[in-house]
Amino acid sequence: MPQRPLNRILYIEDEEDIQRIARLALERIGKFTVEVVGDPLKAMEAIAAFGPDLVLLDWMMPGMDGPTLFRRLREDERTKHLPVVFMTAKASAAELAELQQLGAAGTISKPFAPKELPDQLRAIWNALPD
Amino acid sequence: MTDSAASVAAVPKSRSAPVPLQGVDARSLLADRVEQLYWQLPLGVVATVVVSFIAAFELRAGRYAEIVAGWGALVLIISAARMGLYLYWVHYAGRGVVAPEQWLRWLGIAALASGATWGIAASVFFPSHADEQQVFLALLLTGAMAGGISMYAASWPMYAVYGAGIALPFTYVLATFGNRLFTEVAVLVPAFYAVCVAIAWRLNEVFDSGYRLRHAYRRLTDANAELNQRLQQQLAELTEARRQVEASGRKLALFVERSPIAVLELDPDGRIREINRAAELIFSYAPDEIVGESARRLVLPEHHAEFDAQWRHLIETREPLARLRLRNVRRDGIPIVCEWTVTPLVNPGGEVVSVIAQGRDITQELEAERVKKEFTSTLSHELRTPLTSIIGSLQLVNSGVMGEPDKEVLELTVVAERNAQRLLDLINDILDIEKIESGKLTLAPEPLALEDVLREALVLNRAFGERFRVRFELRAEPPSVRVHADRKRLLQVLTNLLSNAAKFSPEGGTVEVSLEQRGARVRVGVHDRGPGIPENFRARIFSRFAQAESAATRQKGGTGLGLAICKRLVEMMQGTIGFADREGGGTTFFFELPVLDAPAARAA
Repeated sequence: MPQRPLNRILYIEDEEDIQRIARLALERIGKFTVEVVGDPLKAMEAIAAFGPDLVLLDWMMPGMDGPTLFRRLREDERTKHLPVVFMTAKASAAELAELQQLGAAGTISKPFAPKELPDQLRAIWNALPD
Repeated sequence: MTDSAASVAAVPKSRSAPVPLQGVDARSLLADRVEQLYWQLPLGVVATVVVSFIAAFELRAGRYAEIVAGWGALVLIISAARMGLYLYWVHYAGRGVVAPEQWLRWLGIAALASGATWGIAASVFFPSHADEQQVFLALLLTGAMAGGISMYAASWPMYAVYGAGIALPFTYVLATFGNRLFTEVAVLVPAFYAVCVAIAWRLNEVFDSGYRLRHAYRRLTDANAELNQRLQQQLAELTEARRQVEASGRKLALFVERSPIAVLELDPDGRIREINRAAELIFSYAPDEIVGESARRLVLPEHHAEFDAQWRHLIETREPLARLRLRNVRRDGIPIVCEWTVTPLVNPGGEVVSVIAQGRDITQELEAERVKKEFTSTLSHELRTPLTSIIGSLQLVNSGVMGEPDKEVLELTVVAERNAQRLLDLINDILDIEKIESGKLTLAPEPLALEDVLREALVLNRAFGERFRVRFELRAEPPSVRVHADRKRLLQVLTNLLSNAAKFSPEGGTVEVSLEQRGARVRVGVHDRGPGIPENFRARIFSRFAQAESAATRQKGGTGLGLAICKRLVEMMQGTIGFADREGGGTTFFFELPVLDAPAARAA
């Protein structure tokens, strides 16, 4: 369990409506500091600028899909240890297992329940090793 | 006694009785003899009449004309009687009315009578006539005696009777004539008679052996005829069998020719021997373009190595292959995918003599499958994304984090959230059933403590129950039972059963949940006090989109897919699902799963 509580979350999601709902849920219910990025190609600079504790990553996005972006993050020295949680509507058991093996911190299935989202993320955060 | 019995018993039982020689049987010989004698009869009668007429003519002169005429009349009467006997025989012979012995007896009497007429001629005319007539008479009598031999060749006793009829009176007349020469001749007559009988006996022997030969020949002929007949019959059977084989061959050829399945016959080296019409159409080759060519011509070049390996394996193992998918290629170079059933034909020596390949073009099917899969996946994403926004927004509003909404507004947004959730459930169910039925759903089974999963399901569904003012309650402290199952899917099954029970329970009611181990299986029961399952709905309750026709079901919602999904999920976990009427009203839905640890081990 990490020493400090979860605070800064970067959410990478192309759908504006869902961005808004997730941001409201995380800010209003979870009291987190949230930054949302709509374009996965701008994710790296957003991470550098914002410095999140955890990245919440959508699976299906135009331009670059979640798993590809995730692999990029793993390859980069600066973001290698950044916890990443996937948010997905599809993904077979095998695909999820593969991502878990690559080091994904967890998955949240879509459609998500906004009320429960902060608790789900805290549970994943608390389960992380130091 | 015992000793002899024992020794008898020691003799092998299979020792057969001596087989009677397949010789001439006495009765058929007798019958044949009768036949021979009777056939000679008319000739004898004619000879008798002719010779008697000559004799009567020669002897008529002198004082005894009346006696000669009388004798002539006697000869005619006896001849008529003999002819009558012959005709009688012709008419009745072979009908079995008269025994052969009887025929012989009658003929014997006739022979004696015939002989006796000559005897009478001797005894009456010899003393009364002149010398030259006596010489004629003597010649006539010896002639009659000698001539009889051929008549009665088939039976020497018959001849002996006939000859005696002549010889005895003649000898007597000669001996009592009182002439020394005649007395000496009287000794010669019996001697001549004896020689004639001896000749007759010898002829009889010849007749008998002749008969044996005839008999053997007849048997041979019969056997030959029978053999011929049997050959004819077998030939007829063979012809019929061949006709049938040809007919079924034609039928088979027609089946193959008209079949929509491509049928190819290949030799063990993989060269094409024959193709049917469907194969011509699928691969757009004419038979003379492809027959004699290697089957590789029908396989995409980049898959040749793989095909060669498969072919070698087929020839080595001689095992038929089913549902073999090959990347084939048409004459125009267009690649297709075919599914093949390949059957090697093996001779009694174990060698592959021919290979029959039946295939169908599944290119379009695969494409349709791919499109369907893509569509399902797109549908899944495109339907869920907007629902995520809708449900999420409404949840945020209804939870009050956005500020306390107006009471009437809240009522509407709650309705909106519930119905959006219902739509999502429907979509999830449809996608689930599609995945299950296309075999794409894979479970992730793990050892689970079933009672824990059950408790979790009760907690998860408590809120849903409250909406219908129904409480879920464990019937008793559940036993600890481990099962090998997919946790998420097991929860899905329990959620379905619990929500169904809640929907159909009366307000303020209780849904009881039970867990009991029954030997190697564990049964989970969900017991409600609902209205029960209508009779006409019972048979299809686990079918897709099955819902009892009632306003109540529509009001309470549900996709009609829940139980169908439950049934398939439970079956995928090696379980069974069912329902039963509950005593005191209501229904029990239950499912059974195999227990992970052997019950015997647990008992110990």
